[in-house]
Amino acid sequence: MNKLDADIGEVEERYYGRLNPNSILGLITAALATFFLSYLVPNYIEEPGHLSNPMLSPRFMPVVAGWLVLTLSFAMAIEGFFRPPKHTKAEKLHIGIPKSRWILMLAACSIYMFLFEQLGAIVCGVLACFSLFAASHLREIWVYILGLAFPIIISLLFIHLLNVPLPAGMIWE
Amino acid sequence: MDNFSEVLNLFLSIDNFIAIAAGVLVGVIVGAIPGLTATMAVALALPFTFSLEPVTAILLLVGIYKGGMYGGSITAILIRTPGSPAAACTLLDGYPLAQQGNAKKALKTALYSSCVADLISNIALIFFAGYLAKIALNFGPPEYFWLICFSLTIIVSVSGDSVIKGLIAASLGIIVSTIGLDAVYGSQRLTFDSYDLMDRVSFIPLLIGLFAIPEVFEFYTSKIVPHVRSAVSGASLSFSEFKRCLKSIIRGSLIGVVIGAIPGTGATAAAFISYSEAKRNSPRKDKFGKGEVEGVAASEAGNNGVAGATLIPLLSLGIPGDVITAIILGAFMIHGLTPGPVLFQENLTMVYALFCGILVSSAVLVVVGNTAIRYFSLIAEIPKSILLPIVLMFCVYGAYAVNNSTFDIGLMLLFGLLGFIFNRAGIASAPFLIGFILGPMFEDNLRRTFLISKGDPSIFFRGPITWLFVSLTIASLAFAIYRYWQSRRATYPSLKKTRCIISISFYRSSPYAPCVQGEGGSHSLLNLNFKGPKHEKRFHL
Repeated sequence: MNKLDADIGEVEERYYGRLNPNSILGLITAALATFFLSYLVPNYIEEPGHLSNPMLSPRFMPVVAGWLVLTLSFAMAIEGFFRPPKHTKAEKLHIGIPKSRWILMLAACSIYMFLFEQLGAIVCGVLACFSLFAASHLREIWVYILGLAFPIIISLLFIHLLNVPLPAGMIWE
Repeated sequence: MDNFSEVLNLFLSIDNFIAIAAGVLVGVIVGAIPGLTATMAVALALPFTFSLEPVTAILLLVGIYKGGMYGGSITAILIRTPGSPAAACTLLDGYPLAQQGNAKKALKTALYSSCVADLISNIALIFFAGYLAKIALNFGPPEYFWLICFSLTIIVSVSGDSVIKGLIAASLGIIVSTIGLDAVYGSQRLTFDSYDLMDRVSFIPLLIGLFAIPEVFEFYTSKIVPHVRSAVSGASLSFSEFKRCLKSIIRGSLIGVVIGAIPGTGATAAAFISYSEAKRNSPRKDKFGKGEVEGVAASEAGNNGVAGATLIPLLSLGIPGDVITAIILGAFMIHGLTPGPVLFQENLTMVYALFCGILVSSAVLVVVGNTAIRYFSLIAEIPKSILLPIVLMFCVYGAYAVNNSTFDIGLMLLFGLLGFIFNRAGIASAPFLIGFILGPMFEDNLRRTFLISKGDPSIFFRGPITWLFVSLTIASLAFAIYRYWQSRRATYPSLKKTRCIISISFYRSSPYAPCVQGEGGSHSLLNLNFKGPKHEKRFHL
């Protein structure tokens, strides 16, 4: 047994029941495809008044792709129903994760998404790095010094070397 | 003569050499870090190319591609974790060699066979791309339509363990590609009156979102697994050993070239075919699988022989051979260039400058690879908990750099979430990208064909070239379905009646092993079943 196996432990070689991830996913994507074909396409894709050939329509490709998703989703649901997938070792790693871990990750993503122009690239980079280091329970001071240095170095690299104007932060102006 | 001096002028720039060296170095490092892949590195490097000259930009990406191909074998040899699906074959003999204390020998064999194969592949690219482009000059919209149909068959081979899921992902990619203003009528398609979506979904946020962000999400939604370390030790490769492997290297390189030139076949198939051919022809066949240098050489030659050859359909026909060349195709478009026969007509000097750079990259790989072997322990020491926050920062800065808009950061995170859901659901991200890139080309050529024929469908079968592509599409589909069926037989024993030579099945993604992207999509746990007439081997990674 290798080291990784030892960390995760043995996983029983067993199959899911009839209601398994594949059949659930198939049904969800089928529902989304139905919504796409019946609501989004008619309401959000404009069609010109006169068309010489239906294949020239702006709706043609989205409709074909939508029907493909719908058909294949049912196929996936049926396949999942008759041939359920096995449980995998990876699933064990997703159980019992401390909430703080993914909440801090979400916080880092939110900082980048909502505060990038307000706080600037460097400050956002530092805050997000600190947040993610904390999510991994890193306590060493040098790691946080790295978290401070990297955003500064990379921002300066983007701004001066690559001529990409990253935001300096509106609140500092 | 004038053209020659123009090519030299364009190529002999310090920027190009720095780009090649930096690209190969980044590729090897990223490939050598468990969890990061060449696809992710190429996607992340794309924003860095904005301010570069087109030749320098493409050479940087090609350098990363080539470095990453070799880098993937380092983790396969040392910690039994292939950095790419193709490197899975290298571990069959590479890992036993490392276990015997000959890690350095295995790494050097992988490096030199990679470089020889890469060189042969590059020469093939230079010879054949021009000829193919010349033929492609006779193509009209119907021929391109069928060529894209042929290219779309790649989806089957990059779908991982479920073709149905792969096709769903590709269809979703096509739907996303239609967002924006319609090219013929100018009407809005799924823009929801958002100005940011009028000019289609930006390529770079989508790319980074699909291939880099899911790794970050996966890491922070899983248990922390101890960092795996390994050391490089033992004797180096002797010249007599290399000479003994040379036949297998050349054979593997040629197999790689032929397979790489066919879109969608991929490096994994080349590596395994090369390995099995080397084993069949070797006098030491009983040592294969137990730490045979020739086995490492053959699989790496097959794997890297593909690298240059996948650029043949890209440069001459404008169609991607695999996921990384699909990203490189995007890079060409960002720089206002369209790969294909027109590129050879209008930018011939640039094409030849690229060829020069690609040739130089093989030599650079030797130097960088040797250095990486020496300092590998330093590279491998970086834990993901430190690396991924920096990767996320690169992703955000890169996405913002496209349009200087936070909308693109949101778009990137949205596609990251989609990629994460794909990973968890066992859906490969690669078909989504292929659908996103080839969907508009398909639609464009279909519409142009109907416009020039005034609705007459017989134009789709107007000559031998269209018939050739129709046949190729059908043959490629049949072959892909056959290969898929073979792998299904291995996965479900109840279906297995006859023997299969090699079958590979990909399990769902896990955060503790590197994400194998590209042909298998985002998958990490590998299950290799080898069945011959007299032997059977199973490898669970």
